[in-house]
Amino acid sequence: MSLEYRIAYKAENQYEHPVKEARWQFLICPHEEEGQKVTSFSFGNSLNFPYEVSTNAYGFTTMRILAKAEFKHISFEADFNVLKTAASPFDFDLPLDPVEDLQRYQNLHFRVEFEPFLRRTQLTTLLEQHSKFFEYRKEKTVFENLVDLNRWVFEKIFYTPGVTHVNTTLDEIVENRHGVCQDFAHLFAAVARQFGIPCRYVSGYLHQGNGYFGDSQMHAWNEAFIQDVGWIGFDPTNNILTGENHIKVAHGKDYADCAPLKGILYSKGENTTNHSVQVHGQQQQ
Amino acid sequence: MAAKDHTIFSSYQRDPALFDELYDEKGEVKNIYKTLFDLYGSHSIEDYMRLNEKAKSSFFNQGITFQVYGDKDSQEKIFPFDLFPRIIDPAEWEVIEKGAIQRSRALNLFLWDIYHDKKILKQGVVPLELVSSSENYLHQMMDVDPPGGIYNHISGTDIIKHNDGKYYVLEDNIRCPSGVSYVISNRTALKRALFGVFNHYQAYTVTNYAENLLELLETVKPKGVDSPNTVVITPGMYNSAFYEHSYLAKTMGVELVEGRDLYVENDFVYMRTIKGPEKVDIIYRRIDDQFMDPLEFRSDSALGVPGLFSAYKKGNVTLANAPGTGVADDKAVYTYMPEIIKYYLDEEPILNNVHTYHCSRKEELAYVLEHIPELVVKPVDEAGGYGISIGNKLTKEEIEKVKKQIAENPRKYVAQPIMSLSVHPTYIDETNSFEQRHVDLRTFTILGKDREFVLKGGLTRVALRRGNLVVNSSQGGGSKDTWVLKH
Repeated sequence: MSLEYRIAYKAENQYEHPVKEARWQFLICPHEEEGQKVTSFSFGNSLNFPYEVSTNAYGFTTMRILAKAEFKHISFEADFNVLKTAASPFDFDLPLDPVEDLQRYQNLHFRVEFEPFLRRTQLTTLLEQHSKFFEYRKEKTVFENLVDLNRWVFEKIFYTPGVTHVNTTLDEIVENRHGVCQDFAHLFAAVARQFGIPCRYVSGYLHQGNGYFGDSQMHAWNEAFIQDVGWIGFDPTNNILTGENHIKVAHGKDYADCAPLKGILYSKGENTTNHSVQVHGQQQQ
Repeated sequence: MAAKDHTIFSSYQRDPALFDELYDEKGEVKNIYKTLFDLYGSHSIEDYMRLNEKAKSSFFNQGITFQVYGDKDSQEKIFPFDLFPRIIDPAEWEVIEKGAIQRSRALNLFLWDIYHDKKILKQGVVPLELVSSSENYLHQMMDVDPPGGIYNHISGTDIIKHNDGKYYVLEDNIRCPSGVSYVISNRTALKRALFGVFNHYQAYTVTNYAENLLELLETVKPKGVDSPNTVVITPGMYNSAFYEHSYLAKTMGVELVEGRDLYVENDFVYMRTIKGPEKVDIIYRRIDDQFMDPLEFRSDSALGVPGLFSAYKKGNVTLANAPGTGVADDKAVYTYMPEIIKYYLDEEPILNNVHTYHCSRKEELAYVLEHIPELVVKPVDEAGGYGISIGNKLTKEEIEKVKKQIAENPRKYVAQPIMSLSVHPTYIDETNSFEQRHVDLRTFTILGKDREFVLKGGLTRVALRRGNLVVNSSQGGGSKDTWVLKH
C-alpha cells in the first residue's frame, strides 16, 4: 500500500526598506529515501529570480536564490508530490537483555561513530534538575525507554504556538511547559543524548488529516538509534512513532542544522516572514 | 674590539637565575654574538637612541600597526621593535625546523583522522571527549576531503628556550596564526637602521615567505584548475591583523577581499570586479570558521560569503586553513602532541612539550588546586594570551579567585609548570639602557601537497615589562629581528 501527498509550501517576505541584494536558502525539499519518493517538484518566486540546487553540510537538498534587484516584497512557492510506502514501525525484535542493550551504547567505537548525535548543542542543553524527572528504567530495553520518553515529553509540554522563539532555552521551556514541535524535539533529543542514545533532530512535513498536533508550518520530530535496527522515528509532539504521515526533509543535531529558510539580506530595517504549509493526502493501491 | 665604558652594554645587568641567550655556559659572550656585541658596543647609548627613533619611524612609514581588543580607547599602535637582533645558529635551527615540520605533519594527519576514520579516538589514544567538547570540531567537515589532503596549511608554532637550554613548544597555532608580516618588517627596519651589521653575518632572508606561501597553496588547488586564482579574505580594516592581511595579499600579488566582494553561484566562488565576475580557486582566509558562511555557520555573520561552504564541500575551492582545523589548536589537544606524533609518524617528538595537567582529570585537578603558585593556568580555548594566570605573580585573593574559576569549569583549564623563558638584551626606553627581557619564538610552517616550507627566522617576541612572561603583542609585548645563520 502506498500514499501520495501533495505538499504546498509558501513563504512571503515583506521588508520595511527596499532590499538591493539578498540570498535565500531553502531546506524544504522532501528527502529521497527508502519508503519516500518525490514524484514531482516545482519551485518559483513572485519576482522570477532563478534558483540553484545544492546540498547542505549533511547532504540534504537545498535551493538557493540570489536576488540582485530592488524590491520590498517577495513570495516563494514550492509544490512537491511525494509517494510514501507504509511500513510498520514495530517490525523488529526487541533485545532480550536490557542491561546488555544499554551497555552496547557505552562502547567507545560506538560513541565515536555516533558522536555528532550524542553532542549537547546550545539548543539541546538541559540542566540536570530538569531532566532527572524522566527516569530511565534499567529493566526495560532502550527502545521501550524511548517510547516512555516520547510520552514524558508529550505530557511535559503543552502544545502552544507563539510562546517560544528560536532563542528560548530548553530550561525555560521545561519551566513554563509551553512550546511547539521544535521544543518537543529538542527536549527529546537532550534527554536521549544524556543517556548516551544517539538522537537526531528531524525537520519535515506532517499530514494532519488525522488530528495530530503540528501546525501550518513545518513539523519537527526525532530519530533515535536502536542497536541492530537503525534510526527509528519518534514524534514527541504527538506521542507516536513516525509513520506514513511523516515526510522527512532533513536531519541534524538541532534546529540550527535544519532551518527551512535562511535569508541573508543587505538592507536595514524590519522585515516580516509568513510561512504556510499544506499537506494533502490520498491513499493509493 | 672590547666594549668601551659607558656604551650600550656597560650597564647591562645579568641575573644569574635567568638563561641569557647572549652568553655561553662559561659566562662568555657566545661566538655567534661576538661580532654583533662588539659592533653595538662601539656605540654610545645616545647613538643607539637616535637609531631607535629611526627604526620607529620606519614602522610608522610602513604603516605597521595593530589594535588591542577589549581596550575602550582602542587605536592603532606600533608593535614595539628592538634593534638588538636574536641570532640562532644553524645546528639549533635545524632542530627547530625539523620539529616544526614534524608537528605540522602530525597535526594534519590527526585532523584527517578525526574527520574520517577516527582511529585515534576509537583506540582511546586521544580521549573522545577532548575532541567532542570542542566547538571547533565541525560536523560539517565529516568525510570532507580537503584539496590535496591538507588542513593546516599554515601553522604558527610558539617555541621557548627553557633554563635547561632546550627548546619547548608552548602552542601550535593553526587557526589563523598571525605575525609573519612583523618578521619581514623587523628585518626591513633593522636593515634601514643598521645596514652595516648585515655585512658581518650570513643570515637567511625572510622576504621569501609570500612567494613560498603562494607556491605551496597552489599545490593544493582544486581539481581541474590549471592556473588558480588566489585571494586573501579579511574581516576588514578593523581587525587587529588587517595590516598583515593586506601585506600578504600585496606581496603575493593577489587580491585582498572582504566577504561582500565574493559570491557563490552554482557552488563556484566568484569575485566581483569592475570587469565582471572572476572565478576564485584558492582562498587564504583570515576569518574564523563560525563567520565564514552565514548559510552554514553563524547566520548573523556579515563577514562571510553565503554558500562558501557548499562550494568547498564540492571541491571547487581551496580554503586555507581548512574549516574545522581549530579543533587541533586547542590547548587540551596540545598536551597529547607526543602521543599524536608517535601514533601517526611512529617518531619521537623532536621538540619537547611542556608537561601539562588536565583539570578535567580528578587527580590532576586536585594537584593543580593545591599548587597554583607554581603553575601557569590557561583556559584551553583563548588565543592571544587572554585569561592566563601565572601562579608566582598572584596575590592570595587572586589565587582564590583562580581556584574558584577552575573548580567551576575544570574542563576549561589546563596548567603547566612555570617555564623559565630565556632572556635577551633588550633596549628599555624608561631606563635608556639594555636590560634582560624574556623572549619566545613563533615559527611559520607551510604545508603543501608533499612539500613543506619553514620560514628561516620567525618572530621573536619580547615581554617588555620586567619579569613578565607573556609575550603577546596584545599584552604589551615587542619583537626582535631573528637571524638564522647559514653556517
